[in-house]
Amino acid sequence: MIKKSLKPFRDIIALALGHLTVFKHVFKKPVTLEYPEKKLPLNDKFRGEHALVVDNEGNLLCTACGTCQRVCPSFGTIEIEKEKTEDGKFYPKNYTIDLSKCIFCGNCVQYCPFGAITMTKEYELADEKKSALKLDINTLKKNYSDSIIGERDTSKR
Amino acid sequence: MTTKNKLKINIGPQHPSTHGVLRLVLELEGEIIKSCEPVIGYLHRGMEKMAESHTYLQYLPIVDRIDYLSGFFNSFAYCNAVENLTQIEVSKRSQYIRVLTMEMNRLSSHLLWLGTFLLDMGATSPLFYTFRDREVILSLFEELTGQRLMYNYYTFGGLRHDVSSDWLDKITDFVKIMPKKIQDYENIITNNPIFTTRTKNIGIMSKNSALQYSITGPNLRATGINVDSRKTIHPFACSPIQLIYPELDFQIPTAQNGDSFDRYKVRVEEMKACLKLISQCVDWLKSNSGEVISPIKQPLLKVPEGEFISNVEAPRGVCSCYVKSDGSTKPYRVKWRTGSFYAVQILPKLLENAFYPDLMAIFGSLDVILPEVDR
Amino acid sequence: MEYLYFLYIELLHKYNLPEFIGMTTFPLLPFCVVAVALILVVLFLVLMERKVLAFFTQRKGPNRVGPWGLFQTIADAIKLLCKENITPTGAEKFMFNLAPLLAFVPVMVIWGLIPFSSEFDFMSYSVSALLFMTIASIPILGILLAGYASNNKYSLIGSFRAVAQAISYELPLVFVLVSVVVLASSLNLRQIVLAQISVYPFCGWFIFPAFLGFLIFFICATAELNRCPFDLPEAESELVSGYNTEYSGMKFAFFFLAEYAMMFIMCAFMATLFLGGFLSPFGFYLSEKFINNTFWAQISVYFEQVFWLFLKTFFLIFCMMLVRATLPRLKSNQLMGFAWKVLLPLSFLNLFFICCYKYFIYAK
Ligand code: SF4
Ligand code: SF4
Repeated sequence: MIKKSLKPFRDIIALALGHLTVFKHVFKKPVTLEYPEKKLPLNDKFRGEHALVVDNEGNLLCTACGTCQRVCPSFGTIEIEKEKTEDGKFYPKNYTIDLSKCIFCGNCVQYCPFGAITMTKEYELADEKKSALKLDINTLKKNYSDSIIGERDTSKR
Repeated sequence: MTTKNKLKINIGPQHPSTHGVLRLVLELEGEIIKSCEPVIGYLHRGMEKMAESHTYLQYLPIVDRIDYLSGFFNSFAYCNAVENLTQIEVSKRSQYIRVLTMEMNRLSSHLLWLGTFLLDMGATSPLFYTFRDREVILSLFEELTGQRLMYNYYTFGGLRHDVSSDWLDKITDFVKIMPKKIQDYENIITNNPIFTTRTKNIGIMSKNSALQYSITGPNLRATGINVDSRKTIHPFACSPIQLIYPELDFQIPTAQNGDSFDRYKVRVEEMKACLKLISQCVDWLKSNSGEVISPIKQPLLKVPEGEFISNVEAPRGVCSCYVKSDGSTKPYRVKWRTGSFYAVQILPKLLENAFYPDLMAIFGSLDVILPEVDR
Repeated sequence: MEYLYFLYIELLHKYNLPEFIGMTTFPLLPFCVVAVALILVVLFLVLMERKVLAFFTQRKGPNRVGPWGLFQTIADAIKLLCKENITPTGAEKFMFNLAPLLAFVPVMVIWGLIPFSSEFDFMSYSVSALLFMTIASIPILGILLAGYASNNKYSLIGSFRAVAQAISYELPLVFVLVSVVVLASSLNLRQIVLAQISVYPFCGWFIFPAFLGFLIFFICATAELNRCPFDLPEAESELVSGYNTEYSGMKFAFFFLAEYAMMFIMCAFMATLFLGGFLSPFGFYLSEKFINNTFWAQISVYFEQVFWLFLKTFFLIFCMMLVRATLPRLKSNQLMGFAWKVLLPLSFLNLFFICCYKYFIYAK
């Protein structure tokens, strides 16, 4: 009985407490990040746009072995044109990644036996044309020289 | 029964509060719901069939997308099944990291649920608070795995890479501030008379019907049945993870009535339990070292013939993964069992003769997420 | 007023215009001033709401258009005006177009009833408090019409709820108003304000004897305005957007404008009834103290009075925003129960108490 008659008071206290808790947040610093001007710092493991690793002499590490193709969960994302040099080594004549199919899982990077492919921190990939999302071998090379990360993936696995 | 006085209303698939693309066909009499028919399948992606055309490894990144709010759990269920089929040992450290990441994921998932549930009920601020705190967890995940939701962090027999001690320190900081934040949410909402009258004795799920509809997870525990696959060992799913949970000290919160308020309460308590588990895991990881990288290096994994079901207590109920292998590099059949699917099944029963505004209080409290229902 | 009139006529004489123009246009001037002021206030109010809600949730709020996002609402308004006006095929065309106007025009009218300062109120009648309540209940017709005419189930349910809510919350509102009228012994809003003058600063405000009444009035006003936690008619988690689901472009802007203008007016009304309206909280006017020239002091007192009224109004609006940020939405049956079982008896109690107060204490 007493408990029941006290209920309105308890309700009022609870309501007041709720309002105070919300009001408290006025004095806290906003957590908004004004996106295009400021960006969250990305760490080394971030999985963004792909890049093909180029060694010091400017050669691709990739040997067109096709492992990345085989581990890629999204069929048809990676397309490789295999070629043979005179001294019997394989190299990719063309290597395309279709970003519109890619799910950025990182499997290709993880399982490449030569550490020949990596992912950069670039994530603003939207474009007007779908064809712009098809990265060919030159773009992938350029991505690598543009990226700051360097050789983070070769040691992994 | 005539349909004359009835108003047929279609909620969804595009509606602000169906948490995705659920469609509910309601029959209203005034504002009382006479019947409800959930129509699912708008987010069907063929997850199970997809497995049959992918190799074991290729399928791994995809399972994260079954329930995108708790990707680690799906990943774990699948990895665990494959590990048990291939008899790969998983090191203790990687198991601890798995438990740590999974509990954090549970926390982030519950935070999202809390925010959206309260938004459905009309309270706007808690949404922003919970998202603010969830953001911290997601940033930590991004630092660990490279992405915020689709982690692809577990591999068969271990993890992709080890955690750094910096990262563990950050988690310790997070665990320190989090109880205060949870207290804030509770201050705003738990004793609020509007909230309590809207949720207490609403959408009561009896023990019997919960068992009949095979409800699991917090929804089941809110009815008073203390079943949690973290504590109870399933006879046919002796996953290695269950060797870790008994080492940890934690309580499984339960409630009695099985109404919306109890489901809320159980989840909030579970968030606190999560924090406890997280700090224990961090302590263990700080004082012990070990190998986490999987012994399996080759991308094409051949799984011996057999079948296995692995269970894991996901935020929305038991998530189990059944894998049948015919000895090749691709699974013969993969079947998923996820908690939300069953929660949608019981929805018509709970909604019978409920008020139309109760729809949100009931549906929101069940914590249904549609990608998990449709798969 | 007289003085202003002569000023106006003089201005016309300067430009060699006949006097009858002045005679006919002068009465219209206040309405123009009022209308423009109202729209400006509403534009500011929308921005304020967004900013304040943002601060409550640790965000920054609109800050892209203009400094601190000041022109955000103007940009939004332009966007709304440029949008296509869609009338659904199944809709009752005439009523569909009538509804926004019906919701908007009364709001414009009652705005003139608020006494802004001891001299300027654009419409002053001996029963202005009653007139206010009467006209304030017309917009609900617009909402009902909108829900009926747009041939949408969500809209229909939304407008049902709006009407039910408006009817049940009008009662306690009026009973509290009666208690204030008893205190002031007048139905004229300016008289009500003037009755709150006392020897000590702000002690004569009616909020002190009628605090319970003030709370009831605040709750009922929130409900009348269909604001959270009483925003059932447009509960977006259930009804998408309630009665204005089918409205777009200009017509939606009318509803929107009416809603926010009504909010401002209700708060100003509340400030007038309980917080001493345009009276200064110090018991004297700052401009009286600091400006020596009597004429200019008189003029600036008027502006100061407007300032105090606006300050009190914005304080009340801030409270409403805090409530909106915190509370979850009520349920429809809960809503009715609350109005009839809690608020109505309490408002009777308040009236009884006020009558006793008036009889035993205040009258002496
Ligand atoms: S990127 Fe790596 S895995 Fe792919 S073809 Fe080249 S060497 Fe092979
Ligand atoms: S990131 Fe994943 S989906 Fe994208 S190309 Fe690599 S393996 Fe394929």
